Amino acid sequence: MRDDEPSAEFVAFVHAHRTDLVRTATLLCAGDEAFAEDVVQNTLTRLYLSWARVRRADSPLAYARRSLTHAFVDETRRAHRRRETTVAEPTEALPTEPAAGATDADLRAVVLSALASLGPRQRAVVVLRHWHDLDVAETARILGCSPGTVKSQNARALAHLRDVLGSADHHLILEVT
Amino acid sequence: MSPTYDLKRALQSAARNDRPTVDPSDDLARAVTAARARTRRRFRAGLAGVASAAVLTVGAVAVLDRDPADPDGPGVSAPRSTPGVELVSEQFEAAPYTFDLTPTGWSVQAQNPYAVTIVPDDGSTSSNPDVFVGKLVIMFDTNRPAGRVLDHDGRRFWVSGDSGYTTLATRSRAGEPAGVVRIQYPDGAGWDEPSMVAFLASVHVGSGARHGHG
Repeated sequence: MRDDEPSAEFVAFVHAHRTDLVRTATLLCAGDEAFAEDVVQNTLTRLYLSWARVRRADSPLAYARRSLTHAFVDETRRAHRRRETTVAEPTEALPTEPAAGATDADLRAVVLSALASLGPRQRAVVVLRHWHDLDVAETARILGCSPGTVKSQNARALAHLRDVLGSADHHLILEVT
Repeated sequence: MSPTYDLKRALQSAARNDRPTVDPSDDLARAVTAARARTRRRFRAGLAGVASAAVLTVGAVAVLDRDPADPDGPGVSAPRSTPGVELVSEQFEAAPYTFDLTPTGWSVQAQNPYAVTIVPDDGSTSSNPDVFVGKLVIMFDTNRPAGRVLDHDGRRFWVSGDSGYTTLATRSRAGEPAGVVRIQYPDGAGWDEPSMVAFLASVHVGSGARHGHG
């Protein structure tokens, strides 16, 4: 194998999947684009450093999504997260009156605000279960917890989202699946 | 419309699909830099290991060869293995914090009343000061220190760690704003506990310091 082969594969992978990773990171980071970009950059660097494992994975994208979730969870444990303070009540960002013809931008803002009001691990459960359609067992494996924990986190997260989103114009139907 | 579809649609909208394609060359450049930095760290760690082995070997020979009448006896401590990061007695300021020791090869990236971020000069870490991966962070807060206790120069330190990072904590000196000063550093980046304790002990908390929350 030539030395530049992993780099070429890496570039092809980034070209194909970076947008997917950024979108996932955006949800995990509740719309904080700069934080999401940093998580993606760190993830891609980690992937490059263990490219042989990425190559051996059944699905490199699934492997990358797992790494991304780990990078996000690790990052939320770091110093800057510990000294962060909450600056606003999540519901303050929600519209107070139903808006006729609410747009996707409205929905986006409302959903991100609702996600921001969840804890990082609850948010990860919601994203893995309902965005990536992973089952409980796989979600538990990625997050390093028991399936029971995933179920309870998921139930609590959806209940919270229901409360928050219920006051908005977007009456999403959220059920524990 | 099924309930799952609703949430998925909401998440789909929140994740936005209208993103421009990014040139992968920046990601590749960062990754290659990190790979080179890792190689250098491993090389330095290897050298430090060889140096430690040499020191231990020479020390053992010296002890075995020691004249029993030697007044220094076996109580003389052997030199510690060379750490990957060297601290020099040179003061630097990252207001409102001042340091009596300077780590060579590392520089202040960001400072504010709550914290100071110090990064390796090899460019292996994020340029975003809010990302702490691979960096050294000095924080000031009022949280109770916890972990393994050790004493150094008449002061008490607490050591704890998780996820590849070690955190040291100590109380600020008398006359400084009251609180706990902490250093969080990445394991495997050349720092060791004794040098980090010395570095933390060299921190002076200025009057402009503020407590971080969390």
